[in-house]
Amino acid sequence: MTGTFSSVSSALSALRYNQVVMDVASGNIANVATDGYARRRVIGESVGAPDKPAMWSRYDGHGDGVRVGSLDRMVDPLLDLRARREHGNQSFLDTRAASLARIETGLGEPAGEGISAAIAEFGASLHDLSNHPDTSSVRTQVLANAQGLADAVAVQRRNIEAEEGDQRMALLADIDETNALAKDLAATNEAINAARLSGTDASALLDARDSMALRLADLTGGTAKENGKGGLDVTVGGVDLVTGNKAGRIDVASGVAPDGTADGGPLVLTATAPGGSPTAVTGLRGEIGGEVTLLTVTLPGLRADLQGFAQQLADSVNAAHQAGFDAAGAAGVPLFGVDPAAPGGPLVLLVSDPQALAASGIGGGPNRDGGNAKALATSLSGPERAYQQLVTGFGVAVASTRQQAATQQNLTTQVDGAREQLSGVNLDEEMVTMMQAQRSYEAAARVMTTLDSVLDTLINRTGLVR
Amino acid sequence: MNVNRVTQSMLGDRSMANLQSGLKRLADLQEHLSTGRVLNRPSDNPADAGSAMRLRSSLRAEQQHARNADDGLGWLNTIDSSLQTAGDSVRRARELALQGANAAGGPQAREALATEVDQIRAGLLSTANTTYLGRPVFGGTTMGNVAFTDNAGVVTFTGDSNPVNRTVADGVVVNVAQEGTAAFGTDADNVFAHLSALSAALRAGDTAGISTGIDALAADEKQVVVARADIGARTVRVEQATTRAGDSELSLTNALAEIENADLPRTVVDLKMQEVAYQASLAATARVLQPSLVDFLR
Repeated sequence: MTGTFSSVSSALSALRYNQVVMDVASGNIANVATDGYARRRVIGESVGAPDKPAMWSRYDGHGDGVRVGSLDRMVDPLLDLRARREHGNQSFLDTRAASLARIETGLGEPAGEGISAAIAEFGASLHDLSNHPDTSSVRTQVLANAQGLADAVAVQRRNIEAEEGDQRMALLADIDETNALAKDLAATNEAINAARLSGTDASALLDARDSMALRLADLTGGTAKENGKGGLDVTVGGVDLVTGNKAGRIDVASGVAPDGTADGGPLVLTATAPGGSPTAVTGLRGEIGGEVTLLTVTLPGLRADLQGFAQQLADSVNAAHQAGFDAAGAAGVPLFGVDPAAPGGPLVLLVSDPQALAASGIGGGPNRDGGNAKALATSLSGPERAYQQLVTGFGVAVASTRQQAATQQNLTTQVDGAREQLSGVNLDEEMVTMMQAQRSYEAAARVMTTLDSVLDTLINRTGLVR
Repeated sequence: MNVNRVTQSMLGDRSMANLQSGLKRLADLQEHLSTGRVLNRPSDNPADAGSAMRLRSSLRAEQQHARNADDGLGWLNTIDSSLQTAGDSVRRARELALQGANAAGGPQAREALATEVDQIRAGLLSTANTTYLGRPVFGGTTMGNVAFTDNAGVVTFTGDSNPVNRTVADGVVVNVAQEGTAAFGTDADNVFAHLSALSAALRAGDTAGISTGIDALAADEKQVVVARADIGARTVRVEQATTRAGDSELSLTNALAEIENADLPRTVVDLKMQEVAYQASLAATARVLQPSLVDFLR
C-alpha cells in the first residue's frame, strides 16, 4: 500500500511492536527468580505483500511495518522429558539414602554404644563370673548385662520400626499430593486448551503445567507426553494418571492403614486411570517408589537380618548355657528366647534368678567351678562375628546408595543446567533487548515527527511563495 | 558442560551448589576434628569399619585376659606364700623331731617338744585352709569354707580336685589352684597325721616312732617344695601371658588408632585450606551475583 499515511501506520506498527517487546522483557525481568518460569521471546515479522495474489488488485507497497509473529516460550520438550526422568530417579535414590543414613546413625557402630558394645560388656561380665562364680553381685551383673544386650537389640528393632512408620506416613502424604496434583494438572490441561481456542497467551499455564509434571515425576517417576491440545498426559507405572482434562488416582490397596500403621498385608499400590478400574502398579520411581522399596524390601530385610542375628545369639548362648550347671547344681535352662512380637524383643531374657546362671561346668551338686561361664563367653564370638558382618554389609549398602545418589545428582544438575541455559532469564540480555526496543521506539517516533513535517510541507506550504 | 547461555539464576544456583559442597567438606573435617575419628559410621569406610570392630573386640579380649591373669596371680601368690609357710612349719617340726630323737632330753623336754609340734600342726592346718576372696585355695571348687577338716584329731581333705582355670590368653588356660592332697598328702597319710603321730611318739619317748616321723616329715617337706615349684612355674606362665597381653593391647590400640583416628595435624591443615577455599568462594559469589548490565546503563 502506498499512500500518504502508509508510513505513519508503519511507524505506528513499530511503536506497538516495540511496546510488546518491552512488555515481554519486563515480564522476563520480573520473573528472573521465579521457579518454573521459562523466558519468553517475541518473534517479530515484517508485514509485506499479502501471500495470496488477488485477481484485480496489485500490491505496490514496500512493506507495511512490523507485527508480533509469535510469543515463544523457550523450552525444549525433549529436555523437559529428560529432566522429569532424572528427577524421578534422583528422588528415588535420595529417599533411600536419607532413610538408610538415619538407621545407620542409630546403629552406633563402630565406636558407639551399639550392640557390639553390649556384647562386649556381657562377655566381660561372663569372664568375671568365670573367675568368681560364687559372688552373687557378679551373677546379678551378668543378668543385668544380658538384659542390656537384649535391650540394645530391641533399640535397633525399634529404630527400624520407627523408620518404617515414618516411611508409611510419608507414602500416604506423597500419594495425597500426587492425587491432588493429578487433578490440578487435568484442570490446567483444560484451561490450556480453552486458552488456545480463544487465542489467549497460555504461557503462564504452560509454566504451571510443566512444574506440576516435574513434581509428579519427582513423586512417582511418572512419564508425561504432550497430548496435542497443549496439555500433558501422565502415565504412572503403565497406567494413565492424567488424560487430557481427566485425572485418575493412586491408592494404597493394602499394607498401610489410613492412619499410617501397618495393616499386616503386603504393600500394594493401585493406580486408577480416568474412568478405569484400579490396577496394581509396581516399579514406580520417585519418592513413592523409594518409599515402596524401603517398605517392601530394604527395611523388612534389615529387620529379618537383626532377628537372624538374635536367633543365632540365642541358639549359641543357650547351647552353652544348657551344657552347664547352676548354683544349685541343676542343669542350665535356656538363657535367651527369640520373640519378635514381644515388647522388648526380638531377644528376650528368660532367666531372672541370678542363681540360675549355669556358671559351673561340673554337675552333681553345688560347686565353685566357673568353666561354663567361660564357655558362655566363648559362645558369643560366633554371633559377634555375624553382627560385624551385618554392620559391614549394611555400611556397604549405605555407601553405595549414597554414591548412586551423588552420581545421579551430577546428571540431574547437568540436565537442570541445560534447561536453565535455554529457559533461564539473563538480565543482561533482557536489558539489551529493552534498550534495542527503546531505541527502535524512539526511532519510530522520530519517523512520525519527520512524516508530520513532510505532511506539514505538503498541506500548509504547497503553493506558498514567501 | 557445554555452556551456550549463562543466566543469572544459573550463576546463583551454581554458586549455591559450590558453597554447599564447600560447607559440606568443612562440616566433614569439623566432624573428624571434634570426634577425633575419621570413622564415625560404617558407611564412611565399610571395610575399615569391619576391621575396627574386629580390632576393638580383640582389644577387649586382651584386656579381659589381663584381668583374668591378675586374678590368677592373686591365687598363685596366695598359694605360694602359704606353701612357703607350710614348708617352714614342716621343717621346724622335723627339727623338733630330731631334737626329740636325741635322747638327752627328759620327759619334760619331750613334752615341751610335743606341745610345739601340736601347735605347728594347728598352724599348718590353718595355713592349709588359707582363703583367697573367701575361697580355700587348696580346696578346688568346693562350696565349703575349708579344704581340710579336723574331726576329733583326724584331718581329712574336704575339698575337691577340680581345677580353678583362668584364661590368660587365647586358648591358654592355667589352673591357678593347688590341689590340697598333692601338697599336704592324702587322707590318713597326710602331714597332719604324721605330726599327730610324731607328737604322740615324743610324749611316749618312742624312738622308733620319732624316727619314722622324721622320715615321713622329710617326704612331706619334699612334697610341699615340689608343689611350690609347680606354683612358681605356673606363676611365670601367667606373668608372661600378662606381658604378652599388654604388648598385644598396645599394638592393637595402635592398629585401631591407625584405622579410626583422625590425623590431627593433617586434618587441621585441611580444615584451614577448606576455610580459605570457602571464604574465597563466598567472596567470588558476592562479586559474581552483583553486577549486571542494569548497573551500567544510565
